[in-house]
Amino acid sequence: MADETFLSDDLLRQLMSVGEVDLLVGILAHRSANTVRRAAHYVEKSLQQNFVRQRVAIISVDGGVAEDSGSDERSGDGEPGNNSNSKGITSLRTIHRVTAAFNGAPSPGLALRTILSASDLLRARACAVVSPATSSMSPEWVANLLRPAFRDSFDFVAPLYSRHKFQGLLARNLLYPMTRALFGRRIRELYSDEWAFSNRLGNFCLNEDVWHEEPVRSRPEAWLGISALTSDFRCCQVYLGEKPPPPDGAGPDLVEVLRQTVGSLFWLLETHQQSWLERKGSESLPTFGPDHAVTAEPQELNRARMFEMFQTGVKELEPILESILSPQTLESIQGIATVDQHSFRFPEELWVTMLYEFAASYHHSVINRDHLVQALVPLYRGKIYSFLGEYADASATEMEAVSENLCMEFERQKPYLTEKWKAGVEVKS
Amino acid sequence: MRVTIVQGLEQAYYNLVHMIAEFLPRLVVMLVIILVGLLAAYLLGHVVRAVLRLTKLDRVSEDAGASRVLRMADLPSMTELLSRSIFWITWLGFILIGISVLGVAGLQEQISRLFRFLPEVFIAMVILFLGLVLANFLSRAALLASVNAGIRSPKIWSWSIRFVIWILAISMALEELGLARQTVLAAFSIVFGASMLGLAIAFGLGGQDLARRALERYLGNTTKEKYKEPQPL
Amino acid sequence: MALQEDNLWYKDAVIYQLHVRTFCDSNGDGIGDFVGMTQRLDYLQELGTNTIWLLPFYPSPLRDDGYDIADYTTVHPSYGTLDDFKAFLNAAHNRGLRVIIEMVMNHTSDQHPWFQEARSSRDNPKRDWYVWSDTDTKYKGVRIIFVDTELSNWTWDPVSKSYYWHRFFSHQPDLNFDNPDVFEAMWEIMRFWLDMGVDGFRLDAVPYLVEREGTSCENLPETHAVIKEVRKRLDQFYPGRMLLAEANQWPADVRAYFGDGDEFHTAFHFPLMPRMFMAVKLEDRKPIIEILDQTPPIPANCQWCIFLRNHDELTLEMVTDVERDYMYDEYATDKTMRINLGIRRRLAPMMENDRRRIELLNGLLMSMPGTPIVYYGDEIGMGDNIYLGDRNGVRTPMQWNGGTNAGFSFADPERLYSPLISNSLYGYQVVNVDSQRRFSHSLLSWMKALIKTRNSYRVFSRGTMEFLRPSNHRVLAYIRELGNEKILVVNNLSSSAQAVELDVQRYKGYIPIEMFGRNLFPRFGDLPYLLTLGPYQFYWFRLRRI
Repeated sequence: MADETFLSDDLLRQLMSVGEVDLLVGILAHRSANTVRRAAHYVEKSLQQNFVRQRVAIISVDGGVAEDSGSDERSGDGEPGNNSNSKGITSLRTIHRVTAAFNGAPSPGLALRTILSASDLLRARACAVVSPATSSMSPEWVANLLRPAFRDSFDFVAPLYSRHKFQGLLARNLLYPMTRALFGRRIRELYSDEWAFSNRLGNFCLNEDVWHEEPVRSRPEAWLGISALTSDFRCCQVYLGEKPPPPDGAGPDLVEVLRQTVGSLFWLLETHQQSWLERKGSESLPTFGPDHAVTAEPQELNRARMFEMFQTGVKELEPILESILSPQTLESIQGIATVDQHSFRFPEELWVTMLYEFAASYHHSVINRDHLVQALVPLYRGKIYSFLGEYADASATEMEAVSENLCMEFERQKPYLTEKWKAGVEVKS
Repeated sequence: MRVTIVQGLEQAYYNLVHMIAEFLPRLVVMLVIILVGLLAAYLLGHVVRAVLRLTKLDRVSEDAGASRVLRMADLPSMTELLSRSIFWITWLGFILIGISVLGVAGLQEQISRLFRFLPEVFIAMVILFLGLVLANFLSRAALLASVNAGIRSPKIWSWSIRFVIWILAISMALEELGLARQTVLAAFSIVFGASMLGLAIAFGLGGQDLARRALERYLGNTTKEKYKEPQPL
Repeated sequence: MALQEDNLWYKDAVIYQLHVRTFCDSNGDGIGDFVGMTQRLDYLQELGTNTIWLLPFYPSPLRDDGYDIADYTTVHPSYGTLDDFKAFLNAAHNRGLRVIIEMVMNHTSDQHPWFQEARSSRDNPKRDWYVWSDTDTKYKGVRIIFVDTELSNWTWDPVSKSYYWHRFFSHQPDLNFDNPDVFEAMWEIMRFWLDMGVDGFRLDAVPYLVEREGTSCENLPETHAVIKEVRKRLDQFYPGRMLLAEANQWPADVRAYFGDGDEFHTAFHFPLMPRMFMAVKLEDRKPIIEILDQTPPIPANCQWCIFLRNHDELTLEMVTDVERDYMYDEYATDKTMRINLGIRRRLAPMMENDRRRIELLNGLLMSMPGTPIVYYGDEIGMGDNIYLGDRNGVRTPMQWNGGTNAGFSFADPERLYSPLISNSLYGYQVVNVDSQRRFSHSLLSWMKALIKTRNSYRVFSRGTMEFLRPSNHRVLAYIRELGNEKILVVNNLSSSAQAVELDVQRYKGYIPIEMFGRNLFPRFGDLPYLLTLGPYQFYWFRLRRI
């Protein structure tokens, strides 16, 4: 049962007015009112077109928007608008709109917890969460996310995006293969801004006492996804479309991204170790929808600087890396850091070994965990530098093969991680 | 005359016996107190060890970087260190109480002076220890931040922070102990002020460009192209 | 009780709609008649209705339930004589009951002497009383109304070897109102009945009176000109008589039939009716609010007529495709229940015999702005028979008691014009007037109390309406206001208990008095007024400031 005590009276009152619904769509907070309005419009259009008879509600998590906000997102009667179909009749049912207002932008964990609570109180059979920041979002996205959860009884629906080969590099080189190898399920986009879940999964997550943990506060969707994958829940993926990169300057920087994603992945390994330690191999997830053509142009990048930061990192962080990595691995990394940048390659085997040693060190808390994750940043830059150089001319098919090889390497070296995980702390003087 | 000597010897013998008779019970009491203290210290140390293990103090200490400091100093783990400290402090206390029971003149005053000084020593040790831990933690954080931000010579920043915190911790510890207070205060002010002045001059004059670029970056008015990270997610 | 002199009486009317054939048979031929109906007028008076709307009782081949008229100035022999009708009319008036009758201006039966003459020869003086053409290509694109049975609006007449125009069944040729003689003839017919004392006419199929090439042949200016002329003469020679328009259109299009207060006095609000059913099923007030929000204001001397069911199918012409599909899926799962673009079921079966829902819908009917119309039998919760052809399933004999033929007739049951409803749920043994008269908590008793309460306050019939829009969409709340009289109506459209907070700050200090029990409720203050309602419950509050 939802813990109503952290919900404001105003929100509770709004939920009371809505009553029971079949579908709920949560819109995450964004600083621009216009962006939120655009997202809400797409959501509403999708619900009107695809879920005509269902009782639906939209909940916006509002952290205080820019001055251009003029929209009233409170629940109100549908009014004849641009999407009316006949004689001003907009839709069969009222589309309820609820706003969960916060002073300042709430953490993603708090936002999700609010949406989960609303979903529970409204007894929604399925719930989707979307982010206004995704500029390529369309009404079809919402429908594609909701259908498997609502009609086909899936508990967790993850998105799949059509990406340029040089987009989503962290996901491609670390998050996806590692999650796949360890948790045994091939879920590509665990750290995404759009997903859907059933009320069964929502209730399960709501009752877990993890909301105060930093990884859940910053990246709750990963925890939700892993919880679904490791428990008795049906999971699937749906193609949504292209996901263009955020505009320059938008979004957190790489250090923050790694802290949130890799940090939470390591934390999830810790909290779900019973689920992955003995697991072998990996399975595909049911996948729906057609892939979409990619039209986005790749970013222009300063690769030379990337390599320089890798080399500096390896050199300057040696005392820290000594605590984390085995002497052989550190030596190998130091070795490749001295190579000329034009012939530099970061071998996949070394990359995987290194990551597993990081994970094991995280588990044993050899140093402060946040510092441990930060120490990975320059090494990640090195890997990406190598990746960009090696596959500059690769086709989409070739890239798929590269990804698959990397995933198999992660799976192959899993026993190494298991062994290091279970071993004691190595005291380094 | 012989009678006087005999009487004198007899008197001395009686005095000695009397002294021994008076001293012996106190000695026995002292030994009993010390033994009881040993038992109490052992029990208390055990309890503290069990409690600290339950609270996972070692894990917290690892996270804070304190365990590394201990290992560098060839000390046992935090739990072990604290429980052993409690053992010795408790037993030492009982020993001192036992010695005071002996009633040796002058010794009691010294013992009470020692007792009065002990808390300050303990606090100074704690200050020093915390200072070491904080210096270690913050210097590492600074190192990581400057490496990841691409700032040149990151170790300078790291060591600067470590140095400043060390100086601060040592000064505070010495002040707590009441040793050469004026000297320590003056020395700290000079060193700290000079360091800051030096850094300001170096940064302001020698690092004008760096200062300008840092400000531009902070205020978001950069005209030069920033380093672009490839899209991670 | 004499009729009160009031030219706006129709605003305060509560109309009871029935067919003389269905009500009471006095002579044992199995068909209801005027004598029988006269015998039952006390019932209608007791019910509280004050106006009777009679469906067509004219001589007719009865191929469209009497709307195919063969003689406009007499009574079908099955229903009695003209004297019987006069006696009925007088008896009704003596009880304070007004009577409005059907006047089918748009078309006649092909058995009518006019048409027989018109078709006999192209030179016949009455040839031009109907709309003829040598081809069936005129007025191309005009929609067919009876889509289940007609393929075209033109039918070939083998007698005169030409096509004639008909918007309804092929045996109902349209009159030609471009011919002034037609108008005059119709006016004479109306005068005939007006002189006898009828209080008004329901003009059937008025949008289709006039045709013009290149148009939809509906709602044309020339049609309005005809109506205006009728109204002018009515006001001049028969003030206080009423015209009721049957125009199944969107509210904005019906508005034209009120003119500037110089056309119809009243018109049916067709689009509202299915939306009341929709709102209860959806448990959402949106359909009702939307349609009323787009209903334009009408002249002060005009009135909407609102209803739940009638003798036709529950029309779904004036809804969107999505809404129609929803209504079919929810209320007419069996395709036998569907006809044309509608549902041929009665109120009680559509409400699954749920007393609460029946009461809620009647509560809405009696409290919303407009003159309410009660379809005969719905006040006792009569059922229907969807296996009878056309729309006859909702036109079964009135159920007076649990005895022979439900007290409708003493004829042999096989002779009845229609079989009785006799199943275990709605059968006459279970659902009848006599048994419901006996206990005070029957539906009939409740309807009487409801109508009586409505009749006690003119604010219902003549007041304004303003929606309160509480955040709980399952509650429909509005204020009716006339002068100092204010009534708050709150309806729970859902099957579960609801709480609602009403913004009544404007009425701070008023005391709500629940109108059925006359109990005081807490006074309105600064804060939103909290009410809780049981499933399908509604409140009527009279707001008093003391």
